Amino acid sequence: MIRLTAGVCLLWTTCGAAVAVDGVFPYPYHKHTLPNGLTAIIIPMESPGLVAYYSVVRTGSRDEVEPGRSGFAHFFEHMMFRGTKKYPQNAYNAIVTGIGAQANAFTTDDLTAYHLTFAKVDLEKVIEIESDRFQNLDYGKPAFQTEAGAVYGEYRKSVTEPFALLQEKLQDTAYDVHTYKHTTMGFEADIKTMPAAYDYSREFFRRFYRPENVVLIVAGDVDPKAAMTLIEKYYGKWKKGYVAPDVKMEPIHTKERTAEVSYPGRTLPLLVVAYQGDAYDPANRDYVAALLLDDLAFGESSPLFRKLVIEEQKVQFIGAHFPQNRNMPLFEIISMVKKADDLDYVKNEIYRTLEEFKEEPADAKKLAELKRRNKYAFLMQLDTPDHVAGALARLAALTGSIETVNEFYAAIDKVTPEDVQNAARRYFVPGRRTVVVLKGAAE
Amino acid sequence: MRYAHIALCCAFLSMILCSRNTPCAAADGTRSVPGTSKVAENMLPDDQVIQLPVKNDPTVSFRIWFKVGSVDDPWNKRGLAALTASMLASASTQDNSYAEILAKLFPLAAEYGESVTVEMTVISGRTHKDNLADYYPLLRDAILRPAFKQEDLDRLKADTLNYLQNTLRYASDEELGKAVLYNDVFDWGDYGHIAAGTIEGVKSITLDDVRAFYKSHYTRKQVVLGIGGGYDSATLARVRRDLAQLPAGTWKPPPERTPEKPHGLKVTIVEKEDAPATAISMGFPINVLRGHKDWYALALANSWLGEHRNSSSHLYQVIREARGLNYGDYSYIENYPHGGALQIPPQNVCRRHQIFEIWIRPVPNETRHFALRAAIRELKHLVDDGLSEKDFALTRDFLSKYVLHYAPTTFARLGYALDDRFYKIDGSHLDIYRKRLAEMTRDEVNAAVKKHLQYENMHIVIVTKDAKALKEALVSDAPSPIKYATPKPESVLQEDEAISRFPLKIKAEDVRIVPVAELFEK
Repeated sequence: MIRLTAGVCLLWTTCGAAVAVDGVFPYPYHKHTLPNGLTAIIIPMESPGLVAYYSVVRTGSRDEVEPGRSGFAHFFEHMMFRGTKKYPQNAYNAIVTGIGAQANAFTTDDLTAYHLTFAKVDLEKVIEIESDRFQNLDYGKPAFQTEAGAVYGEYRKSVTEPFALLQEKLQDTAYDVHTYKHTTMGFEADIKTMPAAYDYSREFFRRFYRPENVVLIVAGDVDPKAAMTLIEKYYGKWKKGYVAPDVKMEPIHTKERTAEVSYPGRTLPLLVVAYQGDAYDPANRDYVAALLLDDLAFGESSPLFRKLVIEEQKVQFIGAHFPQNRNMPLFEIISMVKKADDLDYVKNEIYRTLEEFKEEPADAKKLAELKRRNKYAFLMQLDTPDHVAGALARLAALTGSIETVNEFYAAIDKVTPEDVQNAARRYFVPGRRTVVVLKGAAE
Repeated sequence: MRYAHIALCCAFLSMILCSRNTPCAAADGTRSVPGTSKVAENMLPDDQVIQLPVKNDPTVSFRIWFKVGSVDDPWNKRGLAALTASMLASASTQDNSYAEILAKLFPLAAEYGESVTVEMTVISGRTHKDNLADYYPLLRDAILRPAFKQEDLDRLKADTLNYLQNTLRYASDEELGKAVLYNDVFDWGDYGHIAAGTIEGVKSITLDDVRAFYKSHYTRKQVVLGIGGGYDSATLARVRRDLAQLPAGTWKPPPERTPEKPHGLKVTIVEKEDAPATAISMGFPINVLRGHKDWYALALANSWLGEHRNSSSHLYQVIREARGLNYGDYSYIENYPHGGALQIPPQNVCRRHQIFEIWIRPVPNETRHFALRAAIRELKHLVDDGLSEKDFALTRDFLSKYVLHYAPTTFARLGYALDDRFYKIDGSHLDIYRKRLAEMTRDEVNAAVKKHLQYENMHIVIVTKDAKALKEALVSDAPSPIKYATPKPESVLQEDEAISRFPLKIKAEDVRIVPVAELFEK
């Protein structure tokens, strides 16, 4: 679901001028970029006593360009909790525990984010320990090798999930040269060899954990000026040095790809039909319109959902996921089919649905309803500091800031039925398509 | 939430990987208030209404609680309570087909859903105030005017059966292990089975069963209205009037029963031929609930031993952090369903019988015996030695702030307000929790540990392959030395020696092996 609303936002620039901007984001925010390139975004909001603090590194599994290093961004996320000389792991943990913070991190294809939510009185301490580990991370080989075991454990806990297997096969099939070929978890063979990659891990830190590759988002009960002063104090000496990875762009394919994968346990068959999309770009009218096809064509109120799930009951579920990425993502339609014999039928129903969107402009009433839905979903989502900062993390990773949130949602609001038709014609063609089927072990 | 929705979330979240702990926020000083109006005959009475007004909240939250759950499933219709709730919240009403309901909810960006656990059924939802007029009639009709159509029942049964036959058995070994553990701990018949039921039970459920269950349990006597956020008095009055239309009914709490601890360590090995790793869950019943003074002391000790998905967990430190055996290791004094997907405790999963539980996330198969020993050994240390003053103080400081994160939204706080009613807590559990922490002593904590925890009588569930070999190893109490692929500090290796020889004293007759394909049949 894409979320948007109307409203007015005050955008404070670094020169201090307040700029009123029509936009979707309901909170005024303050942005400042340090001379070393670190961008900080402060979002004061009503949240008595609480602050959410996100450090968004614009590096994810997309940046794993060297052969044999898939999964390394995620692995490195784990290593970021292994301490510094000033605050060794136990000291860091004792501080986070002592302030009762909720602290976690996650890695995706395009970003790695570290986040804490805590009482506002602890803001300076959090800025101090977070800035310290981003500049001075220090761990030995034994700690590195032990953490590799935990990462392998994370792989093992997930590998029984059929969707994990399906996703792995889909990405491997749909990409030849781009690093989206592997999942964020990485290939098992690469995870196994991680303990031997200590030196590479130090290099990884030097390349990517640099100020110009990081965006801070601070939301909640916070004084922007005081927060900026603290950020300058603790991050000001962080040295530049980001080395952009040489990510190879995937060409537009001209021929459909197919694959099948076997799941060792029992499951109903899974079908994914994926199309090469486009990188995040609010100015790309076709791309923005395509994102709405997710709900229009395959959402719970779509005719296809009604037919396959409710009336014919041939599938357990069907849904779509058209993500926003730095490079070319896959627009995925996924279904769990009750009988293997119906796989072709369901696949053809997906094709038929997309053809209908190519043949005629989208239903104007439905499009208006979707815009209304997006508006209210967005409004209801931004209810805590963590939710606000978390909702903006991906945008910060894609663009280095959050300004385009307004541009993006304004573009969505302008999408016409004809735009949706044009998008369907551009993206949902056989040449861009990859189809993967997963089947379980026989009864 | 229906199982298909869970599966879809899994599909789209599979690219996001988290390493340790949590997200969220805290309270804004709002409190649940008792009803104060003079109640007419046709209104739900004050003592069945929980209000949480939040003036500036642009949304309205509903949690409508029925005092019914899987404990009320007939013995040959396990799953009936859950299916009946689904036939309300995920199916047609008399005025709208399910497809029409979805179409009407779509522009509102709102939904409602059902949650059924052993003793609670809650139909809940949230909408923006602007959309309340369109939303509320749909929610009301789901509860008061269900259609009970055969095609909806067919769809929902298929969803449940797929969950029982495929997803639960094969997709997540740790969720599987936890389900079997509750079955084993509460083996007296009506309290241990999962709310989804059994395959045989679900298959046998008919529309008449659903109608009869609805008629007997969805009554005025069994309902409690929870409403929160930016609603007005007219809305409240309307909902109270509507729910008063439910048939009068009768209700009495399920009979009291004290679960018995097992004698010795009772092991169920779930055999999965291709298990890539071993998931372990263990536990035993405890006789302490929220509101009791011991609960808060025990909660502190439990937080130290195994705070959920938090690196402060001692078990996590021993098994994951020092040895890298798995992704995490935690412990609980309250049921915590869907733990792999949640960071903070869920609401509205209350029960009168709780267990102490340890969750060891999948470890390499060759370390399963070692990991089991390590966990029980750490529990023994806690029981025998208690918390140190330092650990006590650190954990108390942590929890004093951490519990603020438990209810960041009106919807969550409303959930806690319902829970307070279930546990008959005078005031707010979370307020009491913090107050108790402020005055708690280490001696109280260690006394509560001694009183309620132990390590010699437990149910243990192990999902793994080569079950026979594991049984032999367990019964012989043979040493289980561990080999690492990479160097470890001498202190770790020395402790490993002690762990690998830690006696479990498991008897052959206390180990049963169950093929995964036989689970949840009856």
